[in-house]
Amino acid sequence: MPTPVVLGALAVLLAGPLPWVLSRWSGLRRTPVAAMVLWQSTALAAVLAAFGAGLSLVTERLWEDPAGPGDVVVAALAGAVTVVVLGRLLLSGHRTGTSLRRARRVHRERVDLVARVDGGVSVLEHDVPVAYCVPGMSGSRIVVSRSTLTRLGPAELDAVLEHERSHLRARHDLVLEAFTVLHLAFPRWVASAAARREVEVLVEVLADRAACRTGDRRALVSALVTLAGSTAPIGSLGSAGSSLAARVEVLRDSRAHPWQAGSVSVLAAAILALPTLLVVLPWLSGLA
Amino acid sequence: MGELEQAVLEALWDLDASRCGADVPDGHGASGREVHERLVGRDLAYTTVMTVLDRLVRKDLVVRQRDGRAFRYAPRLTRAAMTAELMHEALEGTRGDREQALVSFVGEASAEDLAALRRALDDLR
Repeated sequence: MPTPVVLGALAVLLAGPLPWVLSRWSGLRRTPVAAMVLWQSTALAAVLAAFGAGLSLVTERLWEDPAGPGDVVVAALAGAVTVVVLGRLLLSGHRTGTSLRRARRVHRERVDLVARVDGGVSVLEHDVPVAYCVPGMSGSRIVVSRSTLTRLGPAELDAVLEHERSHLRARHDLVLEAFTVLHLAFPRWVASAAARREVEVLVEVLADRAACRTGDRRALVSALVTLAGSTAPIGSLGSAGSSLAARVEVLRDSRAHPWQAGSVSVLAAAILALPTLLVVLPWLSGLA
Repeated sequence: MGELEQAVLEALWDLDASRCGADVPDGHGASGREVHERLVGRDLAYTTVMTVLDRLVRKDLVVRQRDGRAFRYAPRLTRAAMTAELMHEALEGTRGDREQALVSFVGEASAEDLAALRRALDDLR
């Protein structure tokens, strides 16, 4: 089969049906590390396949001897579409990156102005409990309100802080940013919203796991009960609600799933490696 | 630098609070000179204080008003209002389709979520 068709079909499969299926497989979250790798490799492979499809169509038509006017038109169109896709990605990446970094810097500066620092944690004097982190290359912050400190016991507070520290350590913000860039660049026709939602759940699951590793699971769940119970605006039911349910489900399950973790990792590697080996390399060597 | 900004803003907040109630004829805010006097223990140059005040104005944390040939400076928000603004951003950031600047420990929870959480807690007892 011609290379552009294979790569194009692959791009469509990886951008639509596969993420759709993955986002419905809730058991995937039981192996959050492997799941995260799978989501990232799927997204990366989809983007690469789309570029590959465009570029190989260009070369296939122009390397033809002799290239007729029809071939040139098709090549030009394919080239234009590829450039548009690349342009949208770069533009979205630039916009998202700039606005995120600005929002974080402005927020962090004001936190530093009003918060009291206590053991490396910024404390806001407020009676609504919150706990969050402000990620950033040039200084991240973990912020809690006074009410969080008074409502949580020492073990619960440790669990919350470890959860936030793990977000910062693992740079979960960069993963979320990448999927936000994809979603804003291609908001329709591809499953970019589902992918981003699922990655949001996965970073929370991973941070929960990290908090359980150093502390105890009960303290974390009890902190979730305390904080979720008091911040919830009554009657509003956002998409974030289902992410909490997903976290609880994973927290209740303490078994290891080595088989699932292994096969999901192999799938993630295959999604990236196989198209490259079987389609892209033959195409590139054919050009030489 | 952030530490200096904090000191200057604290001074403005203090001056604002001490002026509350007293009917001051010269109006709202404090002059650069007053802020400098307030920070006398820190051994700062007057020009340093002015530089920091200008930076705070640029960051929209302090507002200034012309008063003759100089400016009078006042915090845009009280400390409590600024805290409330940050809290609002933190709570607001947990919903919506926008990019997430802040990563919260827990976002909105529905009644079912809370029930599931309590069941999980009971099971762990």
